[in-house]
Amino acid sequence: MSQDATGRLGRRLQRILMLLPYAIKHPGVSVDELSERFGVNQQELLDDLNLVFMCGLPGYGPGDLIDVSIEEDKVYVSMADYFSAPLKLTHSEALALYAGAAPMLDLPEMKEADALRRALSKVAHALGIAANGEGSGINVQLEGRPDSHIRTLREALETENRVELEYWSAARGALTERTVDPWGLVSALGRWYLVGLDHLSGEERMFRLDRIKRASVTGEAADVPSDFDRERYRGAFSDREAEPNLSLEISPEVARWFEDYYPVAASETLGDGWKKVQLVSSGDRWSATLILRLGDGVRSVQPPAAMDEARRLAQAIAARHAA
Amino acid sequence: MRRIERLINLIAALLETSRPMTASEIREEIAGYGDQQNFEAFRRAFERDKEALRNMGIPVEVVEIDPLGGEPEGYIIPKSKYYLQDLDLDPDELAALRLVTTAMMTGEEQAEGGLLKLSVGDSGGPWTGARVTWGADVAAEQPLLGPLYSALIDRVPISFTYRAASGEEKQREIETYGLVHRKGNWYLVGRDRARDGIRAFKVSRISGQVKKLEGTYDKPTDFNAAEHLSGEAWEIGSGTKATATVRFDADLDWWVEQNMPQLALKPLDRGGVEVEMPFANLEALISWALGFGEHVEIVSPPEARAAMRDHVASALEPSR
Repeated sequence: MSQDATGRLGRRLQRILMLLPYAIKHPGVSVDELSERFGVNQQELLDDLNLVFMCGLPGYGPGDLIDVSIEEDKVYVSMADYFSAPLKLTHSEALALYAGAAPMLDLPEMKEADALRRALSKVAHALGIAANGEGSGINVQLEGRPDSHIRTLREALETENRVELEYWSAARGALTERTVDPWGLVSALGRWYLVGLDHLSGEERMFRLDRIKRASVTGEAADVPSDFDRERYRGAFSDREAEPNLSLEISPEVARWFEDYYPVAASETLGDGWKKVQLVSSGDRWSATLILRLGDGVRSVQPPAAMDEARRLAQAIAARHAA
Repeated sequence: MRRIERLINLIAALLETSRPMTASEIREEIAGYGDQQNFEAFRRAFERDKEALRNMGIPVEVVEIDPLGGEPEGYIIPKSKYYLQDLDLDPDELAALRLVTTAMMTGEEQAEGGLLKLSVGDSGGPWTGARVTWGADVAAEQPLLGPLYSALIDRVPISFTYRAASGEEKQREIETYGLVHRKGNWYLVGRDRARDGIRAFKVSRISGQVKKLEGTYDKPTDFNAAEHLSGEAWEIGSGTKATATVRFDADLDWWVEQNMPQLALKPLDRGGVEVEMPFANLEALISWALGFGEHVEIVSPPEARAAMRDHVASALEPSR
């Protein structure tokens, strides 16, 4: 999409075209309500209304201009019947709604699921496409989620209770017992995760639901941040600000796909075509698994401890796979 | 006059006009266009505005009109194509959509825009921020998704430059049949005209813009786009199809049971389980098994077992 639609002017125009129908349909709506609903501050909203006040139909006489009046904080818009209904949904908007709804429909026993399905089918009708599932042409695949864990975790989240988990830690290569203050469930990369404060490490962590062996609600109150910021966990990666602590050189073959799968903090192409990359590792075991996966497509690993762990792991795996 | 005022005037005039307006009429009658020095300057400004409106999804149509007037084309925004019909959404339906947009972590700006349009007729009052304990990242922020979805809905063939996994770039002509989100990536599934076959394309590997081609096409009924992607990484590949016996330690038998219910499990006397896993891509199978470190063993076939041994051996070379 061009700058025009996504830039400042485009966003403002699109907002005005949504705001006008709402104001026309709700005469006397307050400035507060309009600014809250359309996500702008009061001054921006008043600027929008003042701008509209100068517009209208050819002729541009008193009978042609849009009439806006604000009386004691109440807004009245008239002489703009042609803006009394909003513009059709764009395809980007429809796609975002369909795709965003998929994780919610994936959750078991959501009481809003039925209403959501009805809503999406009405939207599909307006777009002229068949309503259910594949009919929209969009398919969001979410990997299997253990329903019983989801039920337990949602109960814990709703009642703000601490949970106990038996969790397969890939970073340790072992089953671990964890006590977690649950903050939220996050669907990312097609999987569900539990986000929360992990008492074992004393840090916030994302736990893959497929790796939870057992979950139970403890009855102890959990500390939950009042404003759980889900934005931080985009791409199932919360350590955006962390300093890179693993450096590797990867072959040109590996470099072609590497950044599609691993969050690279910095990279530099070397003279022989190999690439030096830096990333955030959750520990030597994680680094070792990555190194082994890359096989002969990796060299010059820093820190040496990551390479030592890779050697140790390689020996153990080689021993298990002896002829 | 500011450009945004001119754009609002243009939309208003083209929506309300009873017949298409010619360029001259637009220049003479719509406030904001009289400012331009000459017709050329006007024309440039108008073309830019028209493009901006179309990019926002506003249907500015060009209509052929009576050539006797000297100008063969007129412009109009058909009401039927501009206005969102009243969908008669019930309050609980709007509330459910609002929950969706609240939980979204990517693409929420688009979703909220859609929801605001759909909520024009709701009963009003402040939007209460429901406490939502989950988040949804479906990578819906990718800018190409909108144009690709347009092509899918309008059945318009498209062309684009695609960078294959091998690094090779090629121009493709595609009839889009579906869009699938899988493991954090979006894929376009459709008919590749040059190969006359169904192919899947990773949207993030499309470089540059998507160009619309002439004409339309029919999408096969009952087409299931996901089928053309389904399968785990180790099941997809040009390698010989074979079945591996994979052994999981006792610590992991629950994981297999919970996450691979489609596979038959064979519990072992000394703890742990064995499963039979069909595969076509040995490298991908090895990469997946490495995720479990020393707790998983490829038992057979012998070639796969040896391949695992050789693969990890490269890390043991002293030079590295």
